[in-house]
Amino acid sequence: METFWEVFKRHGVSRRDFIKFATTITGLMGLAPSMVPQVVKAMETKPRVPVIWIHGLECTCCSESFIRSATPLASDVVLTMISLEYDDTLSAAAGEAIEKHREKIMKEYWGNYILAVEGNPPLGEDGMYCIIGGRPFVEILKESAEGAKAIIAWGSCASWGCVQAAKPNPTNAVSIDKVITDKPIIKVPGCPPIAEVMTGVIMYMVLFDRIPPLDSQGRPKMFYGNRIHDTCYRRSFFNAGQFVEQFDDEGAKKGWCLYKVGCRGPTTYNSCGNLRWYNGLSYPIQSGHGCIGCAENNFWDNGPFYERIGGIPVPGIESKADKVGAVAAAAAAGGAILHGIATKVRKSANKEEE
Amino acid sequence: MFKRIYVFSASLRIWHWINFITIMILFFTGLYIGTPYFTTSVGYEATYTYDKNLTMGFTRFLHFAAGYVLLFSFLFRIYIAFFRKGNRMFIPKFWTIEYWQGIKETIQEYLFIKEHRPMIRNPLARTAYFIVYLMIFFMIATGFGMYGLSDPDGFWASVFGWIVWSLGGEFEAHYWHHIVAWLIILFFVLHVYFVSREDFTHKNGEVSSMFNGVKFFKKEPVDINDVK
Repeated sequence: METFWEVFKRHGVSRRDFIKFATTITGLMGLAPSMVPQVVKAMETKPRVPVIWIHGLECTCCSESFIRSATPLASDVVLTMISLEYDDTLSAAAGEAIEKHREKIMKEYWGNYILAVEGNPPLGEDGMYCIIGGRPFVEILKESAEGAKAIIAWGSCASWGCVQAAKPNPTNAVSIDKVITDKPIIKVPGCPPIAEVMTGVIMYMVLFDRIPPLDSQGRPKMFYGNRIHDTCYRRSFFNAGQFVEQFDDEGAKKGWCLYKVGCRGPTTYNSCGNLRWYNGLSYPIQSGHGCIGCAENNFWDNGPFYERIGGIPVPGIESKADKVGAVAAAAAAGGAILHGIATKVRKSANKEEE
Repeated sequence: MFKRIYVFSASLRIWHWINFITIMILFFTGLYIGTPYFTTSVGYEATYTYDKNLTMGFTRFLHFAAGYVLLFSFLFRIYIAFFRKGNRMFIPKFWTIEYWQGIKETIQEYLFIKEHRPMIRNPLARTAYFIVYLMIFFMIATGFGMYGLSDPDGFWASVFGWIVWSLGGEFEAHYWHHIVAWLIILFFVLHVYFVSREDFTHKNGEVSSMFNGVKFFKKEPVDINDVK
């Protein structure tokens, strides 16, 4: 396979633009400027890596996000950085031809290709809830993973399970690490993940031929190291105690903190606060809506989205934890008083007997 | 007629009151942090609120500072348990027959059936205290876990970060931190009641013992060996 530099040359890219590009992606991958020479060297020497991108139970929002990557452009990534050999959503070919091609690539680059998984396998009814090319997706996943060098779990579906795995999870959808246990899996959660995060992860793996440093949950540290709350531009309003109470109040107009209307920024790890979306244009909090925590495990079950701390499922009613706590404390105090009175009565009675 | 028995060492009593004050500060600042029920600084730009008002930032500072006090007083509490028998009474000896006998007697007393034999500390209370120590540890671990994850490669994240993930994530950690805070307050209410009641029914100086360390008994308490 050609190296990146060779591909760039073939496309008529000047050396100057090539260096610019290398510098940009170095910053994007969260690396120090001193790493630029290494990135350039990697791009000059490393061959492009074949990628097989498969789709399970999902909504394609990850792909939609990916093709909107601005730095670098997704077209750059797809056409020059990696060789995207199989993607049943993006590729022009379809049907048996593309399925045959997947098998051919797997054989040819056995042990060397990257498997990108968007969506997850439903295990219920022997995987019958998700059929690709006439076969259960879970089989295709296992088969494709066998020869992969590493696996990227795109989005919350592949990483955690996401919406289709929310209670009661009728199809028994599971995250891919429940099915594949013998390969390194990089989780890139989010519904969808930020486009630049997706391309950044791919580029890191391609350029350095290793998986990026991961946190304890298997997410790349450079993109999932911080809570959105800790990187949020509205944080100063939080610290100042200035909160939006309702979406139509004065605080909402002034752009105060969305903490009290259920923002999940304090419990969500992602790059929305610093990278933002669509080439840094905006992100949910900036547009006035709280974060719903889409990059977190079980975010769909940790509702309601517009309340900060979930309710306690007391039979029949959903109560807020504080209310239950206050009622329990009051009940305990009341019980204590009643029990105290009973003790007093009892003691007086005993004294009289004596 | 009453026999004085020295139960609580000075270090334990000091710890008890520090712990009480710390937990109260933590609880009330924590309630505000969980649900900021009043807006503190209307009319100012966020930047200028810091030196003017009681802000969320200051409330959080109080909460974290009290959290550190709770942590180190907890370590101190564990430490003094090694040096004095009387400081180890929070361990429920559920492997002994005496423990289950005591549980039965205490429940009988609370149901007004009959009074229990004189005890320095009844096994039901021991069990409750043990659970409270576990809950305090849980609060420290989840608290410092969430606090530390602002810096995922930092010290506190490496010590307590795991508990956040073992609970299922940051959201769940917030949730359980909240629930257990209320459980501790529940304990606090019952604790004050049962201590007062013990003092009232047995006249053994239960309440004042946490100030002067001494309890009074007519007969020798059954668990005298735990302090001697």
